Amino acid sequence: MLKATLRSFLAHKGRLLLSALAIVLSVAFVAGSLIFSDTVTRTFDRLFASTSADVTVEPKQDLKSQVPTGAAETLSASLADRVAKVDGVAAAHADVSVENITVVDSRNKNVGPTTGAPTIASDWFLTARSPVKLTSGHAPRSGGEALLDADTADKKHVRIGDTLTVQAEPGSFKVRIVGIATFTTTNPGAALVFLDPVTAATQLLGAPGRATSISVDAAKGVTDPVLKQRVAAVVGTSAYDVKTADEHAKSAAEDLGGFLDVIKYVMLGFAGIAVLVGIFLIVNTFSMLIAQRTRELGLLRALGADRRQVRRSVLTEAVLLGLVGSTLGLAAGIGLAAGLIKLMGVFGMNLKTTEMVVGWGTPVAAYVVGVGVTFVAAYLPARRAATVSPMAALADAEVAGVGRPLKVRAIVGSVIGVLGAAALAGCAASSKTASSASLLGLGVVLTLIATVVAGPLLVRPVIRVLGGAFPALFGSVGRMSQRNALRNPRRTGATAAALMVGLALVGGMSVASASMSKSFDQQIDKTLGADFVIQNNNFVPFSNEVTDKVRGTEGVGLVVRQRFAPVAVTLPDGKRVETTAAGYDDGVDDVAHVTYASGDTANALAAGNLGMDVDFAKDHGVRLGSTIPVEFPAGRKTTMKVGALTDQDQSEGFGMQGGLFFGIATVEKYVPGGQDSALYVDKSSGTSADQLRKNLERTLKPYPQVQARDQADYKKLVHDQIAVLLYLVYALLGLAIIIAVLGVVNTLALSVVERTREIGLLRAIGLARRQLRRMIRLESVVIAVFGAVLGLALGLVWGVCIQQVLELQGMKALAVPWSTIVVVVVGSAVVGIVAALLPALRASRMNVLAAIAHE
Amino acid sequence: MSEEAALSTPAAEHAPGHASADGIAARARGLTKAYGSGETTVLALDSVDVDIARGRFTAVMGPSGSGKSTLMHCLAGLDSVSAGQVWLGDTEITGLKERELTRLRRDRIGFMFQSFNLIPTLNAAENITLPMDIAGKKPDEKWLDQVIDTLGLRDRLKHRPSQLSGGQQQRVACARALASRPELIFADEPTGNLDSRAGLEVLGFLREAVDQLGQTVVMVTHDPGAAAHSDLVLFLGDGRIVDEMERPTAEAVLERMKRFDVIRSQFEGQDGQE
Repeated sequence: MLKATLRSFLAHKGRLLLSALAIVLSVAFVAGSLIFSDTVTRTFDRLFASTSADVTVEPKQDLKSQVPTGAAETLSASLADRVAKVDGVAAAHADVSVENITVVDSRNKNVGPTTGAPTIASDWFLTARSPVKLTSGHAPRSGGEALLDADTADKKHVRIGDTLTVQAEPGSFKVRIVGIATFTTTNPGAALVFLDPVTAATQLLGAPGRATSISVDAAKGVTDPVLKQRVAAVVGTSAYDVKTADEHAKSAAEDLGGFLDVIKYVMLGFAGIAVLVGIFLIVNTFSMLIAQRTRELGLLRALGADRRQVRRSVLTEAVLLGLVGSTLGLAAGIGLAAGLIKLMGVFGMNLKTTEMVVGWGTPVAAYVVGVGVTFVAAYLPARRAATVSPMAALADAEVAGVGRPLKVRAIVGSVIGVLGAAALAGCAASSKTASSASLLGLGVVLTLIATVVAGPLLVRPVIRVLGGAFPALFGSVGRMSQRNALRNPRRTGATAAALMVGLALVGGMSVASASMSKSFDQQIDKTLGADFVIQNNNFVPFSNEVTDKVRGTEGVGLVVRQRFAPVAVTLPDGKRVETTAAGYDDGVDDVAHVTYASGDTANALAAGNLGMDVDFAKDHGVRLGSTIPVEFPAGRKTTMKVGALTDQDQSEGFGMQGGLFFGIATVEKYVPGGQDSALYVDKSSGTSADQLRKNLERTLKPYPQVQARDQADYKKLVHDQIAVLLYLVYALLGLAIIIAVLGVVNTLALSVVERTREIGLLRAIGLARRQLRRMIRLESVVIAVFGAVLGLALGLVWGVCIQQVLELQGMKALAVPWSTIVVVVVGSAVVGIVAALLPALRASRMNVLAAIAHE
Repeated sequence: MSEEAALSTPAAEHAPGHASADGIAARARGLTKAYGSGETTVLALDSVDVDIARGRFTAVMGPSGSGKSTLMHCLAGLDSVSAGQVWLGDTEITGLKERELTRLRRDRIGFMFQSFNLIPTLNAAENITLPMDIAGKKPDEKWLDQVIDTLGLRDRLKHRPSQLSGGQQQRVACARALASRPELIFADEPTGNLDSRAGLEVLGFLREAVDQLGQTVVMVTHDPGAAAHSDLVLFLGDGRIVDEMERPTAEAVLERMKRFDVIRSQFEGQDGQE
């Protein structure tokens, strides 16, 4: 039996190749993402492990904001002297290292990375742990001298002798580059500027004698944990975090982890799509192989093979396919990881492909995914194969399964469909985000299953309509192609399902993102009253110098600053909520339209007061006038009175739960050294918007990191950010389409083989090759468009439901991107044409005589 | 019997290359078809000269492997020839390009095969007019009506092939072959898959097509009973026309066929006879 299985596997290798490709793709994405993240993790673990001091003392990080404040938490440099005296300490150094800076060159171009990676300025203190070494020039010896890392210097064409401007929190200062420092370890993508220690403290932190951390070297024979305990005993742990090298490396790696996690999840998303669509392809391939071999299987049964043996034979074939696919996928995954590592170089992260890490988990995951998916996907067809009766060997069945009634499918499909529809209706009606989101998920899964199950039933009515014009347009060729697509609804349905899944996701996501754009637009229209918003592209705070310059700009009327502060509030219901609060200047009413349930702006911004969202307040038992304990970073605490409750439709995203806000003085008091995140600017009377824009642009010229945007620009910025998400969805779509095309090719190729005699007959009675190719192309197009229509219809429903769910989060507007939908439908027709290329060629090359002289 | 006599009309009266419209529907000269090359070459047709008379029902007989199907395929432009020339009416089809051959088959030749004659997705009426639909031509409605009535298919037109009996299917195929009023109809074992009653019916229709509709039919068969319906039987043996028989009867054809078997058994692997 095994021999027969192997023979059959090899005999159908052409057909299996397409399925194998689907497995290869999914496994490649799984393996690629694992290898990539393993490599990156290992690289950075090593980097941070090698650069972390034996013990590090830092200001306590009790509250971590998702929104940067622009402040650098500092400690006294003299702490180093105290630590140095601790028994077992060989040396202690007060480090200065800040990320809240921008470095521009003489042409006002940003020298740092613009991708969101930080620009770090530190004091030049070379130790064995330094990630860089001086490779040319000399160390910075006095104020006005600096080193730049070689990668940045290279990329931004900075040379020794060039003058750069460092915009730090206390103010801007100019430095001359006197040397280049080269990474001895992996460059994580940051730009590094080194200053002499005195300048670093005074210019970056605003005062000599301040530092950002203390690095402690252990004396010989003292272990890190022991030293940590001794140091902690001296400095105390209420105001300081004391970490061993391992702990410090771990937390540093975690900080970086978020960004890398995104890449990992994107990759796994691709793998998921590939797996999902691949399953359809595999199920279809095996179903067709079995249909094709019905007589052969019948013969096996007639010769005495029992059902189990037949089933096992098919499943063995599937496992073989899975093994081959996984192995190739693993290899492709290594290639993919290498590509990603190269790609990271573009973002300045110089990983080495030679240090690629393939952990034991990677091949395990690859084979589990590859073989598992194939096995699961082949299981149903295998069971069907086992039910082939020995009589099938004798019967002249053309294709098994064609005639089997679809009644079971109809019942199962409609039951699941009704449940799914109910779940979707429920999610749209529900008023609680959490429950409606889970209903949405359930509804999406159920309706997807229902559509896949009932797909073959929809083939007839939908394709009748879709191909309705074919006979009129393309004559008998069109008629035959339409009917060929209708011939085996099961197969057509399953083939189209692969495309459907991908397009349903895209449909849903595009409706969601279009609605998001529209909602943001509406919200901007409704709430933003300022003529201009001045902001960093990455929403990172900017130097306060910018604020001063903007205030001094001719034609500027009101300037309202916005700052963020991480806070933790303990609410009357006993819950402690960590969130981010915003601080504003008094003129908020003039630059934004805020609606209040009770109280007003003046009350919210008054000293000792805060405002919050009325729904959040209700949920936690807060009332106007309630006093609430508020914690700020570095252990600063106070109680504040609720002065106003807002009734905004604002989204609670970006870690801004509760919509907390207060006067900017509060932020300045509890988060000293912070920077502004946004400036809302109104023109003074008598100045035109265009004039003010020109003036602001002139003012902001030395500050390439910030832009002045009016409402239209601001909307565009938001749209661009949403578009990034959409591009990702399109990339997923691309992958889904590639696999779906393989499925269509598969189906058509089999149909062509099955219809050999029919094609021969058509050719004999005078169908030209061109016409034959057109017939197959049209069939392919109709299948693809069928999948697209079904998928988009499903996606539209999902999209509307997503909007309904997110309406609670402020996504009030529903927008359907019709142009995208039309493009996708047209695109699917193109996909159909592409998929038909090979099968059509094969059919037209078919020898007429061989086809008709079959028997 | 001699090889020269193996023509439906004396070939000598017509110079090759001048096949005219006066009574010759198709003609072949020195038609040779070889498969393989070198030592393993097999001659399916060995320099065959043949004229197919217009308005007659010609049957081609021979044991399996005699080349009768190959002859039909070459005459119909379905297969390429290794040597020699073939004309359909005035058109030399040897040397025509694939596209021209396709058009020729579509417009000037009708086909009937042993089985799988109809496109399963099309109903009877659509199958009948398929060659004209492919060509983008309007069928001659009067002629079409006549064909359909002659074949008794009037009340079957909307049926799909799967809803028709084997005999009905062959009648639809016959109607399709006739529908475009081709110069020549090739029928390859048209009764091979039918029971005797349905077979007789189809043969009757082919006879009628010749007698009443003035068509020209060439039928390949190995059934002496079927051959007996023709005007002339050509006997093929090992790639050559070895005999012919005017106004055949089933018995005479059967007798003639038996001689192939005798010769076969006596001179296994040798050419021809006598």
